[in-house]
Amino acid sequence: MNRAIPLKEQENNWRYPFVGVMLIIFPFLIILQVIRIQVDPKLLARVQEKIVISQRMPKTIFPARGQLYDRRGSLLAGNQTVYEVGVDLKSVKNPQIIAQVVSAVLEIDYADALLSCSLTPTESAVYSVIVDNVPKEKIDSLKIIIEEMNKQYASYKGDNPPSLEGLMFSPHLGRIYPERSLASNILGFVNRENKGYFGVEERFDGLLAGTIKTFMVQVDPTGAKALPKVPDGASLVLTIDREIQRSMEDIIDRAVSSNAAESGTMVVLDPRSGEILALATTPRMDLNEFWKYAQVFPNATPFNRATSQFYEPGSVFKVLTMAAALDAGSVTPDTVFVDTGAIEVGGTVINNWNLVAWGPQDMTGCLQHSLNVCLAWINTQTGEENFYRYMSIFGIGHVTGIDLAGEVSGRLKMPGDSDWYAADLGTNAFGQGVSATPLQMAVSISAIANGGVMMAPQIVNSVVSEGYQHPIDQRVISTPIKPETAKTLTAMLARSLEIESSDALVTGYRIAGKTGTAEIPTPFGYTSNATNASFVGWGPVDDPRFLVYVWLEKPSSSIWGSVVAAPVFREAFESLVVLLNLPPDDIRRQLNAGSSNASQ
Amino acid sequence: MDQLEDFARAYSQAPWRKQWQIIGVVCLALVLIAMISGIYLNISAQAAAVGRDIQHIQGTAIALDGENEHMQSQLALILSSAEMESRAHNLGFESVPPDQIVYLNVPGYEERKPVILAPSEERTVIGARFMPPEYTESIFEWLAIRVKQWYSAIVEVQP
Repeated sequence: MNRAIPLKEQENNWRYPFVGVMLIIFPFLIILQVIRIQVDPKLLARVQEKIVISQRMPKTIFPARGQLYDRRGSLLAGNQTVYEVGVDLKSVKNPQIIAQVVSAVLEIDYADALLSCSLTPTESAVYSVIVDNVPKEKIDSLKIIIEEMNKQYASYKGDNPPSLEGLMFSPHLGRIYPERSLASNILGFVNRENKGYFGVEERFDGLLAGTIKTFMVQVDPTGAKALPKVPDGASLVLTIDREIQRSMEDIIDRAVSSNAAESGTMVVLDPRSGEILALATTPRMDLNEFWKYAQVFPNATPFNRATSQFYEPGSVFKVLTMAAALDAGSVTPDTVFVDTGAIEVGGTVINNWNLVAWGPQDMTGCLQHSLNVCLAWINTQTGEENFYRYMSIFGIGHVTGIDLAGEVSGRLKMPGDSDWYAADLGTNAFGQGVSATPLQMAVSISAIANGGVMMAPQIVNSVVSEGYQHPIDQRVISTPIKPETAKTLTAMLARSLEIESSDALVTGYRIAGKTGTAEIPTPFGYTSNATNASFVGWGPVDDPRFLVYVWLEKPSSSIWGSVVAAPVFREAFESLVVLLNLPPDDIRRQLNAGSSNASQ
Repeated sequence: MDQLEDFARAYSQAPWRKQWQIIGVVCLALVLIAMISGIYLNISAQAAAVGRDIQHIQGTAIALDGENEHMQSQLALILSSAEMESRAHNLGFESVPPDQIVYLNVPGYEERKPVILAPSEERTVIGARFMPPEYTESIFEWLAIRVKQWYSAIVEVQP
């Protein structure tokens, strides 16, 4: 029996075939698109990219830069939270107000801030940085202002709302040097891009910075996994002592100022280990204001004169000349030289510093009076081959290999070099015609203080990495002279200071040392009246604990090392014995005897 | 006989009976789907929550590391050489002149050594030798050792 279909129902019958057709067309289109994606490689790449973006996002982890400590554990370089201030361009309502507030609080240029805030947002540019490395205190001030403005203008209905909306802060770690300019010449600094410049920061930049790693993180939280641990940069424990460094810097600053010298440098090292206890030079800068570098170090001034500036050291070099001669057997302490006030070596006449003939002198007398003629004669006895061989073993003309960036080698002209002349053998004997850095001189002479063994200079004591501390081994560079030679020469130098009643002497302590006054070469020869004044000394003589090398560049108060550099050494020595708890020699011997008796 | 046939037909072909059967099957399927979906949703939600927690904790850990570094530096600023000296001066301390220093013989006193901030690798390796095997062996290793011990015990008691 046929049922009659109502008219209204008949009118809507088209809907069924329509739905049917749609159900056929949609799957067909889907299949068509699938085929298209498979066939078109560009479309395939685009789709794959979209899939990756929708499933995973990159997350970059910046490890904290390693810290720097002195040998006692005082922090010399650390990290602090600083902020990047920027704007979300799409959210900015009033760029003028943002620029005004930010420039006032952060003390930056209004026009620059306004430019950053006024950029038009695009698909690729949604955020603009206004300023980076803003300290936390400033951000706190900004937050208070934002809060106040939000309260005050919450009901504002005008066209141009005084809103700071869009202003954003993102924290990250930035470098801080708590001691400011202390040891700045050793530490170096890190710029805003976390790159180290000069000193330890540059030398160990890779180690300190660690490795930045980027991971693809699943957006879907069900697939979230713990991120692999990214180790922070390694921390370094340095050999320097903060208190010694500070004291030496104070002393050298005062010396430069009181002698109106162009610059001053002081090296303090432990000859037994090669560890640098202090390395003070001028000028220095507050490392937290590294952008002032060009002001503090104009015209390519070396950042660290102790390692990066060589000079003709003058008479302090006689210590090495005498060491070579004694060790080679050319002379003995009792050898007598009759000083006539002049000697000709390689066609050049060499005179004493005061142009006077000193008559018969033993070798101690030659050192005590710093006789150029005597030392030039000694070199003729030692011979070219022996002298330059010894100097080479002492490391003259080579870098010391200290773990600081920017070390330079001086110049030791050798027989056979195009610019070497026979006269150089004579002038080199008293430290002219040869150049070395203060550190090179200190390291070379430390061999004499350390019984003939020359230790490699060391500024890094240990590396702290991934929870472990790895000590850096102390290295012997060479053994240029025999222990007996070192002992003999030390005694000669101590005796010469005592006879001379040198300004370097310190009551209660026996010290060995030598002054140096060097003429400064110009393009036209030694025509300048200015000098380099130096002093090298170590003590106590029977158990040397430290060696101090002082260099004052072009002092104005006096040209002589014995007048300007020796008192600086004394002041340094007096400070060092207190800081290192080193009693006077007689008390030390009593204490040592007491300890031995107690242990028996 | 006819009555019996009528009775059987009536029951076998009753429309309401077929409808109930279909409704029952559909409802059962729906209940099963709902149960599975519920369990899946619950587990997914838990996994998502834990995932978010992990991400959050990691973020917190990174932030705390940063805060630690920041506070260490702030402490170093307060304890810096210049700050300490000025504080000492303000408190009335003065540098001791060298001639006023008294040296005492302290038995056992040793020269100050450079700071130790972390254990050395060598020391840790030495310590690891004394770590009980329970901390390092797997369950299979543990089982193998026990079986070996048991076997040894049996062998030993044999004449």
